[in-house]
Amino acid sequence: MESMLHSVRIKRLLTGTLLVYALLVSTHLGEFWPFSIYPMFSRGGHDWSRAIVRDMKGSAGAIRWEPSSIDTLPGEAFALDDQGINQNDIANFVAKSAQWSPRRVAAMRKVFGPALDSRQLLLYRADGRLEEDKSITVTFTPFIFMTSDSTYFNPSLDISFESESNP
Amino acid sequence: MTALIHRLFDFERDESVGEVLFYRVFELIVMYWVVFFAWKWGLYIQRLGDIVLPLGIANYVDVSFMFTGGMSLWNAALISIAFFVGLVRISRYGYLAAFLLMHLQYASRFVLGEISHGSNVIGFVLLGMALAAVFFEDMTHRRRFVIGFSIFFIGLGYSTAAVSKLVASGVFWVDGSHLWMWIHERTVDTYSLTGVLSQNPLQRTLLDSHLLSTLTLAFGLVTEFFGFLMWYRRRWIIMTLLFSMHIGILMSMKINFPANNVLLLVLAYPWASLLDHGLGHLKKASIDRIRWISSVLC
Repeated sequence: MESMLHSVRIKRLLTGTLLVYALLVSTHLGEFWPFSIYPMFSRGGHDWSRAIVRDMKGSAGAIRWEPSSIDTLPGEAFALDDQGINQNDIANFVAKSAQWSPRRVAAMRKVFGPALDSRQLLLYRADGRLEEDKSITVTFTPFIFMTSDSTYFNPSLDISFESESNP
Repeated sequence: MTALIHRLFDFERDESVGEVLFYRVFELIVMYWVVFFAWKWGLYIQRLGDIVLPLGIANYVDVSFMFTGGMSLWNAALISIAFFVGLVRISRYGYLAAFLLMHLQYASRFVLGEISHGSNVIGFVLLGMALAAVFFEDMTHRRRFVIGFSIFFIGLGYSTAAVSKLVASGVFWVDGSHLWMWIHERTVDTYSLTGVLSQNPLQRTLLDSHLLSTLTLAFGLVTEFFGFLMWYRRRWIIMTLLFSMHIGILMSMKINFPANNVLLLVLAYPWASLLDHGLGHLKKASIDRIRWISSVLC
């Protein structure tokens, strides 16, 4: 009798958790920690966008906003790990920010923190693409240039800003 | 369903000293990961300043209050205390509080668009601990429930991940060129992190062979799909394969899932039976002492 009661209780707890799981992921785009449909790497072969950062301090001349290949990037590599910055966060700023605002610019600068005090950083958006012949191309497009007190966006990119926000 | 519950939970079977000791070690491992994530996220949240993509509770509550004044660090402290309260059985609601506060910590940390899955397994185990403490009085039943619940949802999670891939991309998800794309993506990520452009020998080998890349993805997809097999008696087989898959992901894409790996290794093998076997060699007085200590502590 007692074992049946336990069995019923376990069934209810599992069923209840599964129902909550289904309800939460179906109404929250598949994510409600710890519930998830685990969509990472589910879209095979799709284009991707990541970010890299170059330290431009000491680079002569004005910023050039043209796309580059990995071999022709100006400045020096800026290792995010050395500053305790998660590269996914920077990539998401670049790839997932549909609209920029002063608050968002300030938020991105805050992630870099004191690293900006003595540097001029140029953020590149890296776009990966699978070509018809199965080769992969990666293009590096300048996205944002940050100095200790200013932020400039690539003027040739179609970036959406909230009113009075284009810095 | 009844057979599944009997296999995973089996409340009627007598509990050995080895099982009790194993569970205590299991709880300490979970505590390590909960405290690790809570403080790691807590420190990082103080660097954040905006919400790009709200997750979980952040859809309903403006979690930006966590970004300043050390709020995320206070939350990390509360999570640690709540877990300790659950661990030493001061309150049956300690684990539930730790779970809810962990959700807030996660939702505050991952607001910039990244969706991290490295902590989901720990979240499920913690949820199991919370439910067990609230709904079961007997300690043996609580322990059995946590282990069964953890295995059920970890297995379900892996199978769900495979289904997501099949729904999004079909069986051609295993096309080796898709792995090439991810290797290049991760190469850029590693370059971004370290400032050094490098690929290891395995990555170079995979990039040279479409067939090998396809077979690698096929192994991953099939292994994930059969994650639910851990609900059965010989769970060590699929859990060892999943562990191997994670090692493959680490080597080919430089993505580490340490919490998953630890839990797979801890739950795959009969550690409790090994402990019992080891205890069997001790003198009776020693076993009685261990039995007494475990009854007091656990």
